[in-house]
Amino acid sequence: MEEVYIEEFMSPGCVGCPAVKEMLEELSVEFKDKLIVEEVDITVDTTRATQYGIMSVPALVINGILKFVDVPDKEELKKAILEEMDSE
Amino acid sequence: MTAKNEIRIGVFICHCGKNIAGGLDIESLVESSKKIQGVVFVIEHKFSCSEDGQEAVQRAIQDRELDRVVIAACDPALHLLTFQRCGERAGIKPEFVDLIDIRKWTMQGSPQKIESQQALERSKKLIELAVKRIRLKRILPSVEVEPNRSILVIGGGVAGLTAGLDLADKGYKVHIVERQPTVGGKMALLYKVFPTNDCAPCILAPKTAYANVHPQIDLLTHAEVKSVEGYIGNFAVEVIQKPRYIDETKCTGCGECIETCPVKVDDEAYSGGLGHRKAIYIPYDQAIPKKAVVDAHNCLYIKKNVCRLCENVCPTDAIDFEQRTRVVELKVGAIIVATGFDEYEPFEKTEYGYGRYGNVITQFQLARLLDIDGPTGGNLSRPTDSREPKKIVMIQCVGSRDKNTHDYCSNICCMYALKHAQMIKGMVLTDSEIYICFIDMRTVGKDFEKYYRSTRELGVHFIRGRPNEIIEDPDTKNLLIKVEDPDIGQFLEIEADLVVLSCATIPSSGTEQLSKVLGIAQDENGFFKEVHPKLRPVETNVRGIYICGAAQGPKDIPDSIIQANAAASFADGELRKAKIKLPKFMVNAKSP
Repeated sequence: MEEVYIEEFMSPGCVGCPAVKEMLEELSVEFKDKLIVEEVDITVDTTRATQYGIMSVPALVINGILKFVDVPDKEELKKAILEEMDSE
Repeated sequence: MTAKNEIRIGVFICHCGKNIAGGLDIESLVESSKKIQGVVFVIEHKFSCSEDGQEAVQRAIQDRELDRVVIAACDPALHLLTFQRCGERAGIKPEFVDLIDIRKWTMQGSPQKIESQQALERSKKLIELAVKRIRLKRILPSVEVEPNRSILVIGGGVAGLTAGLDLADKGYKVHIVERQPTVGGKMALLYKVFPTNDCAPCILAPKTAYANVHPQIDLLTHAEVKSVEGYIGNFAVEVIQKPRYIDETKCTGCGECIETCPVKVDDEAYSGGLGHRKAIYIPYDQAIPKKAVVDAHNCLYIKKNVCRLCENVCPTDAIDFEQRTRVVELKVGAIIVATGFDEYEPFEKTEYGYGRYGNVITQFQLARLLDIDGPTGGNLSRPTDSREPKKIVMIQCVGSRDKNTHDYCSNICCMYALKHAQMIKGMVLTDSEIYICFIDMRTVGKDFEKYYRSTRELGVHFIRGRPNEIIEDPDTKNLLIKVEDPDIGQFLEIEADLVVLSCATIPSSGTEQLSKVLGIAQDENGFFKEVHPKLRPVETNVRGIYICGAAQGPKDIPDSIIQANAAASFADGELRKAKIKLPKFMVNAKSP
């Protein structure tokens, strides 16, 4: 199984971001060291969000691909992570 | 495609002269980087962004057959593009070149500077994370989309009009959305402008009038942007236009309805609360469009179902109480945000008595009192008794450069205080005495220092000190100002007829809401945030959305115009392309 890198785009005033953070913390426990999560505050690092064309947060980029804008369904997020783990 | 475990990654560590090398152990950073999974090559360079440095990156990519690259140097907003281009020249896709900022922890003057050992540990961690990120990164094939050659400009002040006209003259369809019933913004209400002392409406009117008749411009006044979806080249925008209750095609701006209207209310927007208007009104004489508008909060018919006198006198039957809020849907390729600023209302500066003492006003209110189209017809008089003020004290930096309110410099207040002092001393009340209490006079700009000197030569007094408090004489309504002037080592007491506060420039109301609608960031002071304050001052974190004028930060008219020209130029630069290349996921996820 390959590692998966998630860039979690958030901002301090964002309503949905804490829910996404919690979801990712739970999934990190489940997937252990196979899941790497990096929190990116768009008010501090604006360039990274521009690279992915992100216009609103929360947003999740999985292995370089923007997969979710807004709070995702946990099962869908898990499915997306598993797909990446199985990819070559 | 190379399997993830075979990807060859190069790490380049920049010294940035001594900015990085002076603050952490580069050798240790090189050694730790070599141990990261996937890294096959590590090199340091004195200045990676220099011609030599870029050549070293290119050479390494080719000689060492690198697939991906991480450069540990400075802020990506500054040089990511530089290194992505460098990578492209050596055959690597831009997405596989990453730049991370380790300089913020070491550079003198950086607000994030930390001690060397901590900087080293954090840098090691950041490089490790960046290598992992780029090793696991996938890219989907990009798609090419044809951009829509229309532009949305939000805000119809001098910056928005300038950007809009630039683009309309280049052939783009431009929609200017202005929430007030007239375009012109703050500039139209400034009476005169420094340093030329031109009449503000006289030099603005050519722009407003041209925008009104330009075949490529669609002015949407009394309107606000509700939602924006999409991406550069293809934004879908919803604009809400409030009803004027006037058929604009019929209204001639004759003003008969205004004469007849029985409701008189305070005019905050156009007289700074020092004058009145009717419930049906035209904002000011040179308003564009010069059409009446009904203030729904105060109209007797809308509120109480009585009156309708305006309907009886309108010679063209233009009154239309059936009008409702209209939703306008627009498709545009780029958006320019030019929403300007507000003047800080200094109620919380209780020591100056604004709102309590009738003869304490702001510079914006003074501009309205001096304007021949203002509430007093240009006669400068005190609000309490309409008497001409003989002694006027201006206080600088009210709510600016002040940790309790706004700690930034508002940029324009020194110059507009000088302008008003010149106008009064030179034209309106030549025998008046004017005092300006300042911390520093900041007159940075072409011909500004000369302007300051000529104000001094008119006999305006300058006191280096901020007054501690103002006391009002309850009988005369005169104001006693106590201030210490360290330049002459004296404590002064001045009895003034009028006090004028030079208040901070703050983001216009609604900036936060609009930042959410557009997905663009605000800076620590609430203004819209640029990608990089030095090198990319009109771009935002959303490609295709640009900012200009005081919406980006306090600035004067010439700077607002320059930035508007720049924003228009950026929008043109993107939309003139036959096709725009975008990541596939962006287009799929956000098709409007």
